[in-house]
Amino acid sequence: MSRHIWAGSAALAATAAVLSAFVVPAAAQEVPAGYPADYADLVAKAKEEGTVSIFTSTDAAQSQKLQDGFTKKYGISIAYNDLGTNGTYNQVISEAAASQTTADVVWSSAMDLQMTLVQDGYAAEYASPEAENVPDWANYKNMLYATTVEPIGVIYNTNALSEDKLPKTYADMITFLKDNKDSLQGKVATFDPEKSGSGFLHHSNDARNRDDFWDLAKAMGENGAKIYSSSGGMKETVVSGENVIAINIIGSYALDWVKESPNLGAHFFSDYTPAFSRLALITKDAPHPNAAKLFVDYALSAEGQALLAEGGLPSVRKDVTSGFNIDTLNERVGGGLKPIAVDEGVLEYMDQMKRVQFLNDWKSALGR
Amino acid sequence: MSTHAHAPAAAALSKAAAEKKYPARMPRHGNAGAYRIIVIGLLAIAVLAPVGLIIYQSFLTAAFFMPRAQFGLDAYRYVFTDKNFYKALGTTAVFSFGMVAIAVPLGGLLAFLITRTDIKFKRLLEILVLVPMFISSIVLAFGYTVSVGPTGFVSLFVRDIIGVVPWNIYSLPGMILIAGLSHVPHVYLYVSAAMRNLPSDLEEAARTAGASVWQVSRDVTLPMVLPALIFAAALNILLGFETFGIPLVLGDPNGIMVLTTYIYKLTTLFGTPTYQLMAVVAVVLVLITLPLVWMQRKLLRNARKYAALGGKGARVATLKLGGSGQTVALSIIGLWLFVSVVLPIGGITVRAFVDAWGEGVSLWNQLTLSNFGRLLEVPSLYNGIINTILLSVVGGAAAVAIYLAVGLAGHRNWGMSNTVLDYIVLLPRALPGLVIGLAFFWVFLFVPLLTPLRPTLISLFVAYLVVGLSYGLRLLQGTLIQVAPELEESARTTGATIGRTWKDVVIPIVRPGLAGAWALIMIIFLREYATGVYLMGAGTEVIGSLMVSLLQTGAMNTIAALALISIVLTGAGLALALRLGAKIHD
Repeated sequence: MSRHIWAGSAALAATAAVLSAFVVPAAAQEVPAGYPADYADLVAKAKEEGTVSIFTSTDAAQSQKLQDGFTKKYGISIAYNDLGTNGTYNQVISEAAASQTTADVVWSSAMDLQMTLVQDGYAAEYASPEAENVPDWANYKNMLYATTVEPIGVIYNTNALSEDKLPKTYADMITFLKDNKDSLQGKVATFDPEKSGSGFLHHSNDARNRDDFWDLAKAMGENGAKIYSSSGGMKETVVSGENVIAINIIGSYALDWVKESPNLGAHFFSDYTPAFSRLALITKDAPHPNAAKLFVDYALSAEGQALLAEGGLPSVRKDVTSGFNIDTLNERVGGGLKPIAVDEGVLEYMDQMKRVQFLNDWKSALGR
Repeated sequence: MSTHAHAPAAAALSKAAAEKKYPARMPRHGNAGAYRIIVIGLLAIAVLAPVGLIIYQSFLTAAFFMPRAQFGLDAYRYVFTDKNFYKALGTTAVFSFGMVAIAVPLGGLLAFLITRTDIKFKRLLEILVLVPMFISSIVLAFGYTVSVGPTGFVSLFVRDIIGVVPWNIYSLPGMILIAGLSHVPHVYLYVSAAMRNLPSDLEEAARTAGASVWQVSRDVTLPMVLPALIFAAALNILLGFETFGIPLVLGDPNGIMVLTTYIYKLTTLFGTPTYQLMAVVAVVLVLITLPLVWMQRKLLRNARKYAALGGKGARVATLKLGGSGQTVALSIIGLWLFVSVVLPIGGITVRAFVDAWGEGVSLWNQLTLSNFGRLLEVPSLYNGIINTILLSVVGGAAAVAIYLAVGLAGHRNWGMSNTVLDYIVLLPRALPGLVIGLAFFWVFLFVPLLTPLRPTLISLFVAYLVVGLSYGLRLLQGTLIQVAPELEESARTTGATIGRTWKDVVIPIVRPGLAGAWALIMIIFLREYATGVYLMGAGTEVIGSLMVSLLQTGAMNTIAALALISIVLTGAGLALALRLGAKIHD
């Protein structure tokens, strides 16, 4: 048994003791403006639970501010399980099957897997008082909430390419790739939809929305495109000059990276910049249901959203001023922001036949 | 240091040989039969539970815990008709055999130079040649991309001189070369142990008759250690089949796929994880392994027979290399060490202290400590470091105790239970760590009494214990076999029970060896990465699995910092092993 787990439970016990002593009476003061009056009850119950367990694909570093903010505000500790998209899904369904659910909140960027969990009955319904502050597309039946809006874009090596030479629209990119085969050969990177859930989401969403997606895929194939399973991995190769351009990567990361990395640029198509979201749900058998609700509300609140945006995950709200919010982000990417709606549409390629067909088409377009 | 003395397999005597050595007068009765069976039985449960679960899963149509799961061969049908599977299988075979073709000759040569000749800096070299073995392959591969990747600092340096980069590590030959060089220590360990036992009179005779050092090595030494070489080759084929880090980092971008990365792909290919398909591939890996284990067992007997030729106390004289011989030999070793230790570790070290690297990037301008700063800011990262140390140091010690218990159960034991032991020990070796970890996750989730242990480091410890079994147990068996049987026999003759004999004779004698084994197992636990991926959660993060998890988002800054810390910890473990090992030597 590790030392800090003991330390953790000791801290928990201490917190609980403190709470029962004098925090509960003060809870009424903490009901945020615009929340229902009985929210104080929820806060009190959540504090009694004392902890909330989050299963997520978000690196702790990106959400640390949010976690700290939440714990500071409510005195509720967070058990943060960074498991990756597949690990998260796997643990949730396995735990439920064993009747050993420990997950309270599932917070993952795999929109399709999150929607699958909802459809298969793993999620609880919760009408968040913050729901009115996020766009309609960001709330699925009060069960699945979009907490971020993260554009999908292009990064390039500024020593090899300059912003003014880059294609402005999606269609231009296809021409650009075809026209520059000599200089780009073997130096184009993109997501591998077979190994990366994000990659699959980005490409298949394009295929759903763009008739010319397959032309782009073929153009990348003609350039001998290399495929990677993470945005960070692609950034590494573009900064080092191994690749010149990477297409369909997570643009919100890119906007952060360009601040620090030399010779790295981020680019978006002015007519079409899809964006995915990290989706949060509360599990049906959550051992700490009240703390889970409190966390989801906090993550959607102006305060929580600002902390996420500071960590590089743009806000889905309009009233957040630190980092990017959905409006300022749209400006930054040239006005073509098209968030992927949180609805059954994301399940289209969970159909096995369609999925296999898509991947086969993808491989033949890439010439593999 | 005497790692090489006890690391190699010192397993079972054949039944016939054993009975000859311990004739019927040695009472079977009172030979701790019950203890042996219980310990081996417990071990069998620990190993067979996850393996059995995987086999069971492979015959189902969905995850075993889903209501819609039914018996069926659909998963086998899918895998065996998938052309990607055969492609991956073919690539894996080429990869493994290519790796062996590089590692075995080079490992044999190193073993010869270090054990049979008067090469300089022998004591230092004995340690240095083992270093590549202690770096996890994911760290290794990552390090290479920074130093000798297409825009690595060494590549750019070479390109400035000769105009082109004459190599490409993102290719099958590149992967084979890197894997081959990094597996040299595995061959060295086994072959050097065999060579150490060879009497030198034959070599001396050949030298006296006018043969050169190289002729002696080829015509005298080589034939005598051939079984050990073949054995090492078989082991390396096994290791080649389960390598994950190198193909993941170097093969992926160009779509070069081996069986382990094929399994990895099956987790996302269908949207939701298809456990039954992963299980089928795992079963295929086990089926490939079993004949290799069988072959190993056969060869091992022969190897010991050969080694026994000299008998005890044969004087081992070393061959004189001469001035130019020394230069050539040291250059070969130096070059190999440069390629397989300096390049990857250099790459990781550079990456850990910069934010960007590559063409047109001045490393000096990029120098930063912020990569390490982040480790202190994020609890899960520094928890990971603490947990890793805890698991290696405390877990390593507990593992030695357990391996010792198992080692004693198999000590001077023959017959069925020992055959069982040999197979159980190598089974986990065949399974990718990722799959074993997943199976243990389920075992700890679904077996009622075990559930409270799941969110603790104990679940990780048990998985590590099983994954490290083949290596750890061989370490212990190697140490135990060094106890002269006469000592045990005299204790037994004077009326001591076998328990007493172990407690008062065997264990005190092997105690220094245990300390060395502890340090080495510590290192093995330190470098483990795939096993914890599914097992770790809040509060039980470990460095290796954190790196795999971070790889999904590609947080390379953090990965590099963690990798360097893991190398530094490994270095500390190695230094400790050296100190403890040195005691055994004197």
